[in-house]
Amino acid sequence: MKKVKLTIYGMHCVACSGIAEKELRKVEGVEKVMISVMTHKAIVEAEDSVNVEDLRSAVENAGYKVVAIK
Amino acid sequence: MAEQNNREESVEEMEIRSWKNKLVWAWIITIPLLAFMYSEMVFGLGIVSMKTTTLILLALGFPIIFVLGWSTIRSGLRGFYKLQFSMDSLISLGTIIAYFTGFFAYFELTQDYSGVSSMIMTIFITGKYIEARAKGKASNEIKKLLELGAKKAIVLRDKKEMVVDISEVLVGDIMVIKPGEKIPTDGIVTKGESAVDESMVTGESLPSDKSKGCTVIGATINQDGILYVKATKVGEDTFLSHIIELVEEAQGTKVPIQKVADSITKIFVPIILILALGSFIGWFAGSGDLSKSIGIAVAVLVIACPCSLGLATPITLMVGSGMGAKRGILFRKGEAIQTMKEIKYVVFDKTGTITKGTPELTDVYTAARTSEKDLLSKVASIEKLSEHPVGKAIVNYADLKSYKKVSGFKIVRGKGVLGTINRKKILIGTERLMREHKVSLGSVQKVVESYESDGKTTMIVAESGRVIGAVAVADTVKEESKKVIAYLKRRGYRTVMLTGDNERTAKAIAREVGINKVVAQVLPEDKSNEVKKIQKFGMVAFVGDGINDAPALKQANVGIAMGTGTDIAIEAGDIVLAKGSLRGVAQAIVLSKATFGKIKQNLFWAFAYNIVAIPLAVGGLLHPVVAEIAMALSSITVVSNANLLRRARI
Repeated sequence: MKKVKLTIYGMHCVACSGIAEKELRKVEGVEKVMISVMTHKAIVEAEDSVNVEDLRSAVENAGYKVVAIK
Repeated sequence: MAEQNNREESVEEMEIRSWKNKLVWAWIITIPLLAFMYSEMVFGLGIVSMKTTTLILLALGFPIIFVLGWSTIRSGLRGFYKLQFSMDSLISLGTIIAYFTGFFAYFELTQDYSGVSSMIMTIFITGKYIEARAKGKASNEIKKLLELGAKKAIVLRDKKEMVVDISEVLVGDIMVIKPGEKIPTDGIVTKGESAVDESMVTGESLPSDKSKGCTVIGATINQDGILYVKATKVGEDTFLSHIIELVEEAQGTKVPIQKVADSITKIFVPIILILALGSFIGWFAGSGDLSKSIGIAVAVLVIACPCSLGLATPITLMVGSGMGAKRGILFRKGEAIQTMKEIKYVVFDKTGTITKGTPELTDVYTAARTSEKDLLSKVASIEKLSEHPVGKAIVNYADLKSYKKVSGFKIVRGKGVLGTINRKKILIGTERLMREHKVSLGSVQKVVESYESDGKTTMIVAESGRVIGAVAVADTVKEESKKVIAYLKRRGYRTVMLTGDNERTAKAIAREVGINKVVAQVLPEDKSNEVKKIQKFGMVAFVGDGINDAPALKQANVGIAMGTGTDIAIEAGDIVLAKGSLRGVAQAIVLSKATFGKIKQNLFWAFAYNIVAIPLAVGGLLHPVVAEIAMALSSITVVSNANLLRRARI
């Protein structure tokens, strides 16, 4: 298990964060997603095998930009 | 750390800056557009023909909608393509339909709404800018936490003082902290004495005294002396980093009441799309007026405000969390804010929660012809040699500059200690120790009984076979315990104390602080069962230290973990109190209630707005521009109202 923190640009409210959350959950190996429009962050708990770039493209697929990954 | 903070912070600034740029340009184009539109259409000056008017409006509107509004249009259209709708879907559809009426108007098929579409986008951008600003304000306290960390540190390397970047400080480095400077990172004082202001991290307003062996927290401020501190934690392991992480993670958790709003927000946009289409068909079928029907459909699209619904909870949670963090109260789960109002019982662990957790000397009794000073200096000199916590309490209290020479020191397990000072044999211990050495208790007997009935550990002191006094040691209650419990009782909470101690000690403490009910002799592993038993009568908040009480904290409806020193038990408890003060319990309750009240108020306004506004738009009573203004105002109202939570008195 690992924890990845994504900083996301462009979400207005839960309708937006909901879309990003859904896309992140679709990524194979993702266990838990905690996302907030207020902190502009998604904290993703995922299996070690998950590639952070897949998480990035999931967010971008939802229409938002990832500005930082930790 | 510092570098990353700057980047994190800029996301919000990026948003504000980007909306601001768009706002300025949008108005630069919109103002002449408005002047032109009104002079031509309303006052009918007729400088140019109708067709030219339309073309000019289309030309001016293009940059507003498709350049400045591009991010919104793109995200909105993506929603249609992927069937994942958001606020942007409504605005983009509304403005695009309105814009394209310009082309129809050119061929005299409909009225021209293209000027209106530019105004809608400009107002939308303005609203988003104000909203982004208010959102930024909501996270003020959290931002301050992020900025709190020191940027530079002075460390000793090769016996020389060197200024280094905070990221270069390693565990084990000795840091030099001068008066008025920030302590760079968590550590232990190795040399020096000073008072340290820890208010920014723990909420405790009085500075605390630090000397050799004390732990200090990074980002707190050294006040008057020079401190040499060995770094024990750096980077992400520090107390401050943990606090920030706790607060940030909490923002991603849900307050249960929000679930309804969230699910409505998610189906809201499709419903509005259907409503807009329905209004268009209905009005067109009824009146046959294509222009009017389009206008109404656009008004319906732009008046609906899912954002106010979707922001009501998270923004209020953010403000509430920030207010808590400032006071050393860390909400880990949004749920706790809602559950708190149902709580009937507040259950406390005794040791370390109500009491300080370390024994202190509470009473000194001296027999005739013995001074307290003399008694304590003898007792402390002997007890200094024992490692027992009771002995330590006496030594701490006496605080001697020099100790007497002791010979023949001996520990009698479970009974006490003995030693010889100035050729006089001194016994310190229980009644049994006295009896075994044939010391008659006399008048001290009564004193001992009264101390023990208060739950104190009492030791009799005898010199050369004669009792010269007695000292009592007890785990003393924290200064604020009594006040906090009285406050809770006034507010109608039932208070219960759980402890592994014997009944007598437990009752004495409970009496002192005014707790309603005591459950004594509870084994640590049974604490959660006791909580479960109480839960049959009502919801329970359990207050305990995060280290031993984890199961009870989990079992309780709201677990409040007391942080101690520089370690916070991150995994235990729904609410963590950064400093070990009970006052935080009362504050956490008040803050939770205030925050939840504000969330409800915001959700009410957001719902009420949509319920009133949407039918007005469907009924054709609102012009699309008025509709957009109403929408922008509603979401600004919600975010501003959340910021008003700060007025609550905690």
